[in-house]
Amino acid sequence: MTPVVVRRPGPNGSPAAIAFHTALAVLAALALAGALFAVQGADPLAAYAALFSEAFGTMRGFGFSLVRATPLALIALGTVVAWRSGFGYLGFEGCFMVGAAAATAAALASAEGRMLAPLPSWLALALAMLASFAAGGAWAGLVGLVRTRLGANEVLVSLMTNYVGLLGVQYLISGPMRAPGGLPQSERVPSDVWLPFVIPGSRAHAGILLTVAAAGLVWFLLRRTPLGYELIVAGLNPAAARYGGIEVGRRVLLASVLAGGLGALAGMAELLGVQHRLVDGMGGGVGFTGVVVALLARLNPLAVVPLAVLYGGMTVGADAMQRGAGIPSSIAAILQSLIVLLILASERLRYYRLNPSLFRLGRDRAGAAPGRPAGP
Amino acid sequence: MPPPWSNERASDKDRSNLAVNPQGPPFLEMRGIVKRFPGVLANNGVTLAVGHGEIHALLGENGAGKSTLMQILYGFHQRDAGDILIEGRPARIESPKQAIALGIGMVHQEFMLVHSMTVVENAVLGLNLSIRRLLDLKRAAAALQALSDRHGLAVDPHAVVGHLPVGAQQRVEIIKLLYRDVRLLILDEPTAVLTPQEKDGLFAVLRRLARDGRSVVIVTHKLHEIMEVADRVTVMRDGRVAASVRTSETSPRGLARLMVGRDVALRADKQAVARGPAVLRVENLAARDAAGETRLHGLSLDLHAGEILGIAGVDGNGQAQLAQALMQLCPVTSGRVWIGGQDVTRLSPAGRRAAGMAYVPADRRHVGSVAELSMIDNAALGTQARRARAGGLIRDEGADRGFAKALAARFSVRAAHLGQPAGTLSGGNLQKLVLGREMMREPAILIVEQPTRGLDAGAVEAVWGELLAARAGGMAVLLISADLEEILNLADRIAVMSGGRIAGTLPAAHASAERLGLMMAGAPAPDAQPLAAVEASA
Amino acid sequence: MGAGHWLGSAFLATWLAASVRLSGPVLLAALGEIFAERSGVLNVGIEGTILLGALASYLAAYASGDVWLALLAGAAGGVLSGVLLAWMYVTIRASQVVAGIVFNVLAVGLAGTLYRLALGASAAPQTVAMFEPLRFPLLSGLPVLGPVLFSHAAPLYLAFALVPAAHFVLFRTGFGLALRAAGENPKAADNAGISVARMRYAGTLISGTAAGMSGGYVVLAEVGLFRETIVSGQGFIALAIVILGRWRPWTAALAAVAFGAADALQLSLQLFGAGLPPQLLLSLPYVLTILAISGLFGRSAAQPAALMQPYAPR
Repeated sequence: MTPVVVRRPGPNGSPAAIAFHTALAVLAALALAGALFAVQGADPLAAYAALFSEAFGTMRGFGFSLVRATPLALIALGTVVAWRSGFGYLGFEGCFMVGAAAATAAALASAEGRMLAPLPSWLALALAMLASFAAGGAWAGLVGLVRTRLGANEVLVSLMTNYVGLLGVQYLISGPMRAPGGLPQSERVPSDVWLPFVIPGSRAHAGILLTVAAAGLVWFLLRRTPLGYELIVAGLNPAAARYGGIEVGRRVLLASVLAGGLGALAGMAELLGVQHRLVDGMGGGVGFTGVVVALLARLNPLAVVPLAVLYGGMTVGADAMQRGAGIPSSIAAILQSLIVLLILASERLRYYRLNPSLFRLGRDRAGAAPGRPAGP
Repeated sequence: MPPPWSNERASDKDRSNLAVNPQGPPFLEMRGIVKRFPGVLANNGVTLAVGHGEIHALLGENGAGKSTLMQILYGFHQRDAGDILIEGRPARIESPKQAIALGIGMVHQEFMLVHSMTVVENAVLGLNLSIRRLLDLKRAAAALQALSDRHGLAVDPHAVVGHLPVGAQQRVEIIKLLYRDVRLLILDEPTAVLTPQEKDGLFAVLRRLARDGRSVVIVTHKLHEIMEVADRVTVMRDGRVAASVRTSETSPRGLARLMVGRDVALRADKQAVARGPAVLRVENLAARDAAGETRLHGLSLDLHAGEILGIAGVDGNGQAQLAQALMQLCPVTSGRVWIGGQDVTRLSPAGRRAAGMAYVPADRRHVGSVAELSMIDNAALGTQARRARAGGLIRDEGADRGFAKALAARFSVRAAHLGQPAGTLSGGNLQKLVLGREMMREPAILIVEQPTRGLDAGAVEAVWGELLAARAGGMAVLLISADLEEILNLADRIAVMSGGRIAGTLPAAHASAERLGLMMAGAPAPDAQPLAAVEASA
Repeated sequence: MGAGHWLGSAFLATWLAASVRLSGPVLLAALGEIFAERSGVLNVGIEGTILLGALASYLAAYASGDVWLALLAGAAGGVLSGVLLAWMYVTIRASQVVAGIVFNVLAVGLAGTLYRLALGASAAPQTVAMFEPLRFPLLSGLPVLGPVLFSHAAPLYLAFALVPAAHFVLFRTGFGLALRAAGENPKAADNAGISVARMRYAGTLISGTAAGMSGGYVVLAEVGLFRETIVSGQGFIALAIVILGRWRPWTAALAAVAFGAADALQLSLQLFGAGLPPQLLLSLPYVLTILAISGLFGRSAAQPAALMQPYAPR
């Protein structure tokens, strides 16, 4: 029997094929999650409409979507820098907490009567950002060092550092940074170093502006500078990079520092924009969802921000649906991950095509099969 | 003693004397084998017969089709036409598993061993996949010990394979096959990784196996080894059998002629160029490969402006490490390198590029280019910071594009557009891109490694033309190639590498394919002169 | 408060008993992960698999009240997760790390959704039947040894019984040999007639089954409830245990008990009011794992050479 699909020598890389298969994957994910709506007695189309109208239909909801998008996007940008440079960093949960802790420490130091109190508040805020970036950079840079100097696998090491980071923050808020009172949490940071709210009538804070700027900078670094070029070549093909005179180890180390810094800024934004005090578990898995956003963006920094807003919006909409219709909010996570999983699976589909001999209707059967050029 | 797992096989046969009827069919016959790969006719009606108890050498240059033939026999590839007969009966061989069931086993050049496991674990691997059946390693070890003793393999069944020297690992591969009671052993370039002592040991083992009635096929291009160990030799050239003769009826000289003596299809138009001063000097260079094996043993050479120095040699004799060591791309253990009087021994790859070196690596797809990136980005590799603005901080896209455009025009790289990923270019166009990129920098020294391997005739001609143009422009070209025709056509002087050293150097005028073939094969070249003498006469 | 309490037998017995008890779930997951990693698959998705196994066990216990049936349901949930993961790892040949972490996000979503679907959105958390600690005649009454070794629920003994079983399968059967070969040198395994894909499916499914049971263990022997947060890091701890245990069941059991001991020590120290920050103890195993990966205790030759490398047959 003639097979219906045949294997291609390589994946079909045409933009049309990629778009087609991606759309197919997204539709399949929407259909699967829609089935979950249907099981709960909700009309899937109406449910999707409600989900997205909550997230993007009102200024207040959109503001929440931006708030959720900010740490996702910063972590996704960190992922872009690291993974593009061939550094498989997965330690963003830890980075997030380290960045939040460093921002807390710097912000608290500017409170009444403390060391940095004389500084103007914008400078204190800038200092908190810088401290956060530096702490995260050092945190992830250590993993980079362990990889480039000792040849250790950065994936496993960075996964382990997550827990060291989480536990470290737990220690800080139950010990040195603990505020008076029953709960293990830090003092509230003074309100003049909060990230200012940017949309009246919503919770959206300046973190989203920082995120847009960071996306632009990452794009510029990777696409417009010789340094970014070296990072990308080192990531794609270390042998070719060395051949081209690129010092791969140094570039990977740099990427690890930048990625850690971006991941830490996510924690800073959540702290100075939303929580305003260091508490345990404030990340809530954002370190991994951010990586998922980066994957969805195909590691393209410019696609990161809109997709992070979309993913943040899904969470916001799902939360609202849980309050209203009683549909569990975790459906957002299902949708978010299914889309990426199915896109991954669809990449394998691009290795196949419909068997062309099916369309030749028996004509030239013998000659149709090999399809190879003749020998010399 | 039969292997413990083969209850169903004819274990009553006396293994020590595989009963053979001398008048009967040979153990193996391959008739009219044809194998076509996209763009290449790898085997074109090949016929091979290997008798019981015969050591048969399969000889040929790189790309002559011997590997393909053996991979067909071992079930890795399927033939397009032809017959395989085992003891006179037609055989279907669609996988290595079927080959082994038919009594055919192969020792690959790259050993198929699990380093962290013991010899006995490697030997029983794959024979018993059941979770319920226990591994009887004791019994298997005893069987291996017996095999080892009988064939003089000196293999300890309980040794961890990764701790064994290469020669012993090869004997583990052989004992694995004997444990499966293989009747025909194929060895692909078995001596490439061995010391002379290990090689002698291997040959003794092979002779013993042959006396036992087993057949052996050695795939090789080392002439004197063939003369030493083989009973018969089949010479392949361009996918066909050039000759099949008894070793007692031939000589290394005759075999060399059969191996390399093809019609020269291409001729390069080479103008006389006055040789300039020495621009590259190398003294006692020693280097290791990625696995830590020393592949370059104290090599010295001089390279002059306006000349092409050809480095001939069979693949794997240190040529790759020579090129990499010159670019500081592999671990260099000793030696010094000067470029135009400047000592560059300690310089990084980037530093050597800046000092005037350029390099076209043999692996143009995985080292010379980045498949995923556009032609523009690939054209920039190595000079990424050169065309930048703002003190080297921002790439000048226009300049990069212009550079790529000029490169594509000057070296006639054909592509749909400059944004096309390099991975989608044909071999010839990719090579023109890589070569062009290196030449556009106008280096003093151009190192090219296997520049036309795998290219079609048109691309070969183009690449040769560019190399000669570079020479005419006063560049010093180091041409490393296993293709004698290329070396003979282009080089002004020819150095032959063997075993990580330069075996001898000849002016091109004194060289012939036959003579180089002999030197490559490690045979003494009575009148080859040391480098200095050639310099004096040139 | 004083040092006397510290070394008192009450403290010791409490601590050791808790060490053993807390090591159970992570040991179970780690034993499975050894099979996955030995076959060449880094199954990061066990974190999510444990969560889904916990949910399956909880729902089965809720519906049937039978703890053993519930444990089986956990295993079944693990198998289902394993099928999806193995398909991504082996058939799709996606990056193992990518597929694993995305699956973990999916598992969090699925667990929350299915839990609410089954119990209704407003339902208050309900406890389910749990494994009772086994009582051994005479033995359970022994001082120190009694509470430490003979006072646990059945799944714990199951987990420790699986240690020799895992060792046996890995190192004494043809299957184990073939599985290890697929993770060390898939090309050589392929050449020897072993289907690398089949071995990696097997490894991932074993890992999924064990992780699912580990989730069931948490619900049925430790918590008796389900919340999305009851699994937080056990899967990653299992990854660490596999590394510290050098990819071997017996040493992994030791590492699991060490993890349990650190965990229990911080609980006990809090109970007995000592000043040492508990987080320091809790992070120690992770730090040790990082040092182990970095080669501080010798180059980790034990790591399967082809770990994380997708294999495409010829």
